[in-house]
Amino acid sequence: MLVSWNWLKEYVALDMPVEQLTSRLMMAGLNHESTREVGGDLAIDLEVTSNRPDCLGHLGIAREIAVLYDRTLTVPPARPAQSPTPVGRLTRVRVDCPDLCPRYTARLVRNIRVGPSPRWLARRLETIGLTPINNVVDISNYVLMECGQPLHTFDFERLAGGEIIVRRAAAGETIEAIDHRVYPLGPQMCVIADAERPVAIGGVMGGASTEISPQTRHVLVEAAEFDPISIRATARALNLHSDSSYRFERRIDSEGVDWASRRCCELILELCGGELAEGVIDVGAPPPARKPIALRLRRVPQVLGIDVPAEAIVRILSALGCQVVERSAEAIAVVAPSWRRDLTREIDLIEEVARIWGYEKIPEDASVPMFPSHRTREDRVLDKVRGVLTASGFDEAVTLSVVEPALSEALSPWTDQPALRSLTPVLRGADHLRRSLVPSLLAARRTNESLANEEIELFEIARVYLPQGAELPREEKMLGVVSGRGFAEVRGAVEAVFDSVRIAGIAAAEAAIDLLDPAESCCWRRGDALVGYAGRLSAEAQARFDLRGPTVVAELHLAPLVEAAQLVPQYAPLSNYPAVCRDINLVVDEKVRWAEVATVAAEQCGPFAEEVLYRDTYRDAQRLGPEKKSLLFSVVLRSREATLTNQQADEIRQRIVEACGRRFGAVLRAQ
Amino acid sequence: MSLESFIAALDAFSREAAAAFASAENEESLEAARVKYLGARSGQLKDLQKGLGQIAPADRPAAGKRFNELKVGIEEALRQATARLKQGSAAGPRAQHFDPTIPGTRRRIGCLHPLTQTIAELKDIMGRLGFTAADGPEVEDERHNFEALNIPPEHPARDALDNFYLAAAETTAGAASPGAKARLLRSQTSTVQIRVMEQTTPPIRIISCGRVYRPDTADATHYPMFHQIEGLLIDRHVTMADLKSVLRLFARSFFADDVHIRFRPSFFPFTEPSVEVDMSWRDGWIEMGGAGMVDPNVLQAVGYDPEEYSGFAFGLGIERVCARRHGVTDIREFFKNDVRFLRQFG
Repeated sequence: MLVSWNWLKEYVALDMPVEQLTSRLMMAGLNHESTREVGGDLAIDLEVTSNRPDCLGHLGIAREIAVLYDRTLTVPPARPAQSPTPVGRLTRVRVDCPDLCPRYTARLVRNIRVGPSPRWLARRLETIGLTPINNVVDISNYVLMECGQPLHTFDFERLAGGEIIVRRAAAGETIEAIDHRVYPLGPQMCVIADAERPVAIGGVMGGASTEISPQTRHVLVEAAEFDPISIRATARALNLHSDSSYRFERRIDSEGVDWASRRCCELILELCGGELAEGVIDVGAPPPARKPIALRLRRVPQVLGIDVPAEAIVRILSALGCQVVERSAEAIAVVAPSWRRDLTREIDLIEEVARIWGYEKIPEDASVPMFPSHRTREDRVLDKVRGVLTASGFDEAVTLSVVEPALSEALSPWTDQPALRSLTPVLRGADHLRRSLVPSLLAARRTNESLANEEIELFEIARVYLPQGAELPREEKMLGVVSGRGFAEVRGAVEAVFDSVRIAGIAAAEAAIDLLDPAESCCWRRGDALVGYAGRLSAEAQARFDLRGPTVVAELHLAPLVEAAQLVPQYAPLSNYPAVCRDINLVVDEKVRWAEVATVAAEQCGPFAEEVLYRDTYRDAQRLGPEKKSLLFSVVLRSREATLTNQQADEIRQRIVEACGRRFGAVLRAQ
Repeated sequence: MSLESFIAALDAFSREAAAAFASAENEESLEAARVKYLGARSGQLKDLQKGLGQIAPADRPAAGKRFNELKVGIEEALRQATARLKQGSAAGPRAQHFDPTIPGTRRRIGCLHPLTQTIAELKDIMGRLGFTAADGPEVEDERHNFEALNIPPEHPARDALDNFYLAAAETTAGAASPGAKARLLRSQTSTVQIRVMEQTTPPIRIISCGRVYRPDTADATHYPMFHQIEGLLIDRHVTMADLKSVLRLFARSFFADDVHIRFRPSFFPFTEPSVEVDMSWRDGWIEMGGAGMVDPNVLQAVGYDPEEYSGFAFGLGIERVCARRHGVTDIREFFKNDVRFLRQFG
């Protein structure tokens, strides 16, 4: 809201430096954007929050100043002289859509002279960035910027039938507005029409056909109230936002409509001559009576934490225009002014008291009681996960939750449901809520590759959105990893994550994910649930993501880790005897898996099992035979009761070999 | 012999022996030097020890002390020389060619994203003030994103152009899901406050932190996705003085400086009174975020009696805090994930 310093002086005495004024206003809720000198005047730009439409006019700002500086506010009485002819004999108004236009008033001024505005008026408009047009139009703009009530003036002789009909636009109707562009209208829009056609888009913009011209002799002055939601919808639909629609969207002062109309006519008589027809055509229900609001004085310190004297409370509210209708030692009741529709409750009054009394009086050193808090299980687990990944040399990325369709469709291991979509893309074509973090990280890898960056090792912890029909989606936190290292190394980093939270019961299996090379990929399950997967992108997938080098990806569902994490490890007593280690090299069929062999080996070690360690796999069709491999592993044995002898260790080793022989047909590899 | 001349002889011996040991090029020459100076039979030290007997009895203790000091010192010089030659002989020319300025084998440690670091710090500070982290969904219904936050259906904040509404729920088995409600990407983390209050009775102290979405055109200071942190405190007898004091404690902890807090009146549907929070910074004020006393309508919407309970809420944008902290001038950098950027924050 741009205000003119000289203009404000019409209503309140200004003798303070402008910087002091704007700083006071800022501390009372009107943020100061800038002050600019325009032709000897000052244009002050103030930011008005959406709850304060009363400050969208000079009078409203002047009222705030009057309250803050305890000064008198002078409001023009607006009592234009009237001629004897009643307005009802000269024109008619009908409102067909009271839901869109609850109130419409019209006055008529005849035999005026349209011409340029006087210098003072043109200057004031110029100061606040408006271009003077002619005296009639300038007056309606002046009154709009004076009190915040939009007005419209029609060339009365160009209104077909000399009447006003407020109605919904018919489908297919159009109007040429005063900006000389043609707008298509629809039945949701309120138009001001004459007997034949729309002559204005109600509350948004006037029409070209009835605009005030040098030839205009009689002028019909409209002051009305329009439904804020309908105005907003119309302005949005037509992409036509005006000073008028801006104010109607935020609601005008219903009881100030007539004042604005009289004020406009008063200025027309003063500057353009003519005679004002007697009375007003006022269609619509009068605004409902305003109800008193009770303010219990004890609530003020209860909310603000400071005492404000009762006298000050009354003074502040009265100065703001509230009418005190009841007063006792405990409470007061006030009727809020018509221009403050935001004041309906006790708490609203307390805010008014606080902002005028001054928030700087609220102390910043109150003693707030102590209160226990804890770090959540999830945060503690995620810290561990992040620790493992950074220690393994991965940098943390943060990518957009919403991706382009192609990225979304590339990979969805967590759900078969199609991705949720936003109605408008969040960013350039990205409208699919992601179901996996991996595609976003692959895109980040590509960006880095294009910059020839070295060592692009990325991870991210974020949510995926798994649709559940009409319900809100299941949002699951995932760890995504994308790397240029080998499969085993990336897999090892993920397995280190498992280790870091001491989660048990994780089993590895084939991944069976299209994007991944079946010979270098795996998934992890816990029971039946998929916990994660890792794998090297297939050559085709690598090409599809336009990646230069071989790329390994992994993704881990973090909820099972959070749930199963053992965050407070428990002590186990240590054996005081040394460990013994035995290496075993078994030849088995290709189909035999390490995990099975490891299980059997651990069983055979019984209470002496400390660790079963995989070492390596050898293949040699000539020495081992076709479809055979040799598994090299070690067992670490330790007793709680005594030092194991070599003989005992050899016996256990022998038992493992025999058990594996029975179970898998394994034989000890000849040395 | 006088004490002075004895000490002078000791010093001369010490310098000469130390220089001989230090300059010995191999074990043979060192052994020769050892025999010459420290030899048990005819070493020079032996001669000096004999000289000790000729000192006047009164000066003898001082001379003896000095002699012992010298002996310890020279034996140490021999030990060092022996160690030096031993090392040299083991390494041979490797020792001479060794370059101590070549760096070690470093394992590269990855870096946490600066936003993660800022969030952790904020959560940590708020944790010390008694606020526990709470979480809620990013895809929300209108009740939690608007209605319960005192944003009625006709409110401009609900406009389709100001939010990321989702396309209607997919039809299942050919039938449109009945009563499908509008869903959207949350525009603020205040939604979490509602969810927590719906399930908890006061007192409450929570901090909710996470991604929010608003249709802003991406530029140096805007991105359609960003992170917010919001605090909520509900209890009996909570006042704006408590709000100001908690924010000051928070700011003092975060900036490790004795800053002050300023409130400017503002407007948010879910708080009343509502304020913009500024913090003193150098000689002026900088904006921290928005705050206010939880609106009685919000308390009622979650089933609290506003006569019994009151509370405050505050929120701030994490990107802005993080950018200011690290001197990042364009917040789009946070989401580009250029590894050169990420590694600046390790």
